[in-house]
Amino acid sequence: MITAGIDVGSKTVKVVILQDGKVLARSLVLTGFEQGKAAEEAFALALKQAGLSAKDIQKVVATGAGRTSVSFATESVSDVAADARGAVFINPNAKTVIDVGAEEGRGISTDTRGKVLDFAVNERCAAGAGTFTEAMARAIEVKLEDMGELSLKSTQEIPLNAQCAVFAESEVVSLVHAKTSKEDIARAIHDGISNRIAAMARRVGVQNDIVLIGGVAKNKGFVASLKRQLEADIKIPDEPEYVGALGAALIAAS
Amino acid sequence: MTLDRAKEIVTNRHDYAREWKKKTGSKVMGYFCTYVPEEIVYAAGVLPVRVIGSHEAQSYTEPHIYAMFCPFSRDVLAQGLRGKYDYLDGIMIGHSCLHLRQAFGAWMTNVPASFSYYMYTPAKIQSPHAKELMLAETIEFKKAVENWLGRPITDGALDKSIEVYNTNRRLLKQIYELRKADPPPLFGSEAIELVLSSQLSDKAEHNKILESVLKELPQRRNGPQGGNIRLMIIGSEDDDTNFLRYVEGLGATIVADEHCTGSRYFWNETIPEKDRLRAIGNRYVNRPPCPTKDWESRRRFVHIMNMAKEYNIQGAILVQQKFCDPHEFDIPPLKALLEKNGIPSLFLEFDITVPIGQFRTRVEAFLEMLQLEVV
Amino acid sequence: MVTSIKKYQTRPLDSFKKAMELRKEYYQNVMEAKQQGKLLITGGADSMVALPAGLGDYVFFEGEPYGATISMDPEFSGKCVEAVEAKNFARDMCAYMRNYWGSMFLNKYYFGGEFPKPDFVMQLGFCDTHAKWMQQVGEYMNAPYFGIDMPVGTPGRNVDAKVKYLTSQMNDAIEWMQKVTGRKYDDDKLREAVRNECKSSALWSEIVCYNKAIPAPLEQRLIFSLYIVCILRRHERKSVEFYEMLRDEVKQRVADGIAAVATERCRLMDDSQPPWYFLQLYKYMEKYGVSVVGSHYSFFLGGSLEEMPDGSLGAPKTPDEMGMPMKTREDILRAYALWYVKKPIISQMFALPHFKSETMLRLVKEWKVNGVIFHLNRGCEGTAFGQMENRLALTKAGIPVMTYEGNMADRREFDEAQTLKRIDAFMESLGLSKLEG
Repeated sequence: MITAGIDVGSKTVKVVILQDGKVLARSLVLTGFEQGKAAEEAFALALKQAGLSAKDIQKVVATGAGRTSVSFATESVSDVAADARGAVFINPNAKTVIDVGAEEGRGISTDTRGKVLDFAVNERCAAGAGTFTEAMARAIEVKLEDMGELSLKSTQEIPLNAQCAVFAESEVVSLVHAKTSKEDIARAIHDGISNRIAAMARRVGVQNDIVLIGGVAKNKGFVASLKRQLEADIKIPDEPEYVGALGAALIAAS
Repeated sequence: MTLDRAKEIVTNRHDYAREWKKKTGSKVMGYFCTYVPEEIVYAAGVLPVRVIGSHEAQSYTEPHIYAMFCPFSRDVLAQGLRGKYDYLDGIMIGHSCLHLRQAFGAWMTNVPASFSYYMYTPAKIQSPHAKELMLAETIEFKKAVENWLGRPITDGALDKSIEVYNTNRRLLKQIYELRKADPPPLFGSEAIELVLSSQLSDKAEHNKILESVLKELPQRRNGPQGGNIRLMIIGSEDDDTNFLRYVEGLGATIVADEHCTGSRYFWNETIPEKDRLRAIGNRYVNRPPCPTKDWESRRRFVHIMNMAKEYNIQGAILVQQKFCDPHEFDIPPLKALLEKNGIPSLFLEFDITVPIGQFRTRVEAFLEMLQLEVV
Repeated sequence: MVTSIKKYQTRPLDSFKKAMELRKEYYQNVMEAKQQGKLLITGGADSMVALPAGLGDYVFFEGEPYGATISMDPEFSGKCVEAVEAKNFARDMCAYMRNYWGSMFLNKYYFGGEFPKPDFVMQLGFCDTHAKWMQQVGEYMNAPYFGIDMPVGTPGRNVDAKVKYLTSQMNDAIEWMQKVTGRKYDDDKLREAVRNECKSSALWSEIVCYNKAIPAPLEQRLIFSLYIVCILRRHERKSVEFYEMLRDEVKQRVADGIAAVATERCRLMDDSQPPWYFLQLYKYMEKYGVSVVGSHYSFFLGGSLEEMPDGSLGAPKTPDEMGMPMKTREDILRAYALWYVKKPIISQMFALPHFKSETMLRLVKEWKVNGVIFHLNRGCEGTAFGQMENRLALTKAGIPVMTYEGNMADRREFDEAQTLKRIDAFMESLGLSKLEG
């Protein structure tokens, strides 16, 4: 059976095409303003890579913030269900799944079959981990991809106090004015975000294995901060941003 | 200087309590609010220590308390969940605000201790009947402590405890009295550390510290300068002495305070009477109130304005733990009252960690404004 | 995915209209109290509203329901909270209070005209807000204020001392009220009002017990419309008559197998006040076949439950049924004080979290509830108190739980899309999908 999972995130659309538990193709495109169009585009791209056409796909399941905009989907599932299913597929020992994307963070407690036992979504003031890092990178004039490495070179810990991104930003600005090194500011930013994410994960109870997914999982600085916060090891899949789409494709196949 | 010893107790409070335990072989009880009849605990041979936070960012309390409750209550609970107070044999709280009570409730459920007690300390201390209920609650609390320890608390022990506590209050007040001078012989941050160390240590030992501080202060050379702006700090729980040091580094001296980590804690003594428990209870009903117990009329403001006058205050910093409901009620009318009496004030909201960088501009502008007024 | 299932019989509740009439009449009475020669007293909804009865005719204008009413009107509520913020009060304070204060500062009564000027202010204080809320009202309106301190503390401990404390304060209050109003106090009227209050409350408790039935004859939105009489006018004869009528109707519904939600296949409980401006929430869950059968809050704000001889929870006995003397003023006040000391909304919700957790677990079991939704209510530190510990206790007992953050009366803190998304995910985890039609 060939199925597809489409994860329409606020920043990117991810597609996974799956045949009997094997990934045939993956694609990722920017969401832009028209979610439906981006989904079609990403789907077409994945089909091309797999050398298939739309009629070869028996079932398409959409997930993510824009899941209702996928007109060609057979059905849709929530992001928590897709995340849990995908994470357990990759790591059968996963008990806690943490998904950190551009606009939303989620903590999920799952059983061994990928069934959601409990979940928490970040509250309003802690929203936008990915977007926030990006904005802060601009504020200290550093490329987003360099933020992680930079923060690993930090020599001192500076707590960011505010829980709300808007106030945190003004704290970062005052650090810039106080001539704090970029390395230390980068770390402070990652510590600040990971503190909120860890808090959210603790709401559902943190148990090993902890699997971190979503685009922000690729940021080494963030991962180091989160490990410190949770005082635990964190497993990161090779392609962390595709786990939701993979989960949707797996749900389609079941 | 013996003042350093006070600071040391505050900084190494856990070591202090652990050593005390080892030395005496007795128990330690953590209390969550200053509305608890500590004298009873002390009379039982148990060391009462106030539970305070550590000002470190943390995520441990998230499953237990969510963000709308004050950072102090969350910071306090974090200490318990992280095992920082693993030497406590018991915990207790007197009825005051919901915030701290929630931290207590979560601690009680999630951090095992052989004794935990929530007593009702009357909220309408202005009622003529408050003292009767306080007495009834104090009697019950004493019984509970006796049951826990398996031995009675004697009248002799109560008398001694009252005496030690009253001496501590008297000595602290004598030191506060010295702050009326210009320059005062000690910084506001040091005064708060004296009060905090009292809350964290054996009062008999602390009395000795206070006695030597009183002896040393007149000879002190490195105290605050004369002619500095005289500030008062007012508001919720405030143990952030780093912030106070920062303010006092900017040409201001904090000469008075109205905090439960300051004057509210020790301002009045227990007036001995034959019924010892009644005497102890009355003292808590009569103390300068927390805003949550200050109704129908506003007695707290009387205490504040008296202090402001006696200590010749030029400006006030109103410190509030973010989301602290009791203080949120009092701050706007208090600010207006201070203004009416020619005392400008600056309002600051404290979180678990205090962003000095962010406060810098505001504090500096405030002090600048006060300097202009002085000129 | 859409599923179809069997439907229960349903029909509108006749008493609903009567409840709405009584509510409307109440707000009319507040406005016209002076013209009608009645005293106007303001205070909290949990105050001892029967206490002024000895003075003669009066209307007790309650703060919380009024604040909730205002929240349903975004424009007026917006103006109210802005007026409060303009006076430098924090925006995270009690959201009911900010609507009430705003209406007072603007001198605009929501139902028309000026903000009603109270003859005096009387409050029962048991959270950080109650007593201080009315302190500000007394000062601003230049009206005398009497606050009664409700001894919370550990339930069951020092009950006699607590009853004595309340009784003494009530005695003082009576002396004080006579002084500020110049009226004489009639104990017979007090007795009647206390009896009405206890009876109303006991009847309401009996009614919520009928909701143990499957299908549930009432659901939460309806419950909110019905409990209001017990909140606003529980000391009046009209309230007792209303609840007798309602009790009979609900009893009949259970006998006839009438459901509030025709498609009931999942029973949930929620926690804390809802976002009053978004009661569609319950309608939305009905699409999944969910009937929200009540909550600790909606049962206990007006009622009280006690353990029956068979071990189940049932309506409490009134002072008369307990055989308490009601002859002298002292008798009546003692009975009234004990009634308040035993009120679960005060003794459980405001004491320590585990007391409420224990009761919630019993409610879940006896009302046959499949899951619990917590509204983490930033508008009320009282009902928000201990919610996370309650949540942990339920989770530990294996009960599915969901949370969403919001505010009962300040819509700026509520995210509709996010909340519905969470509900969808929760329904999915309960194995529910939307039903046809």
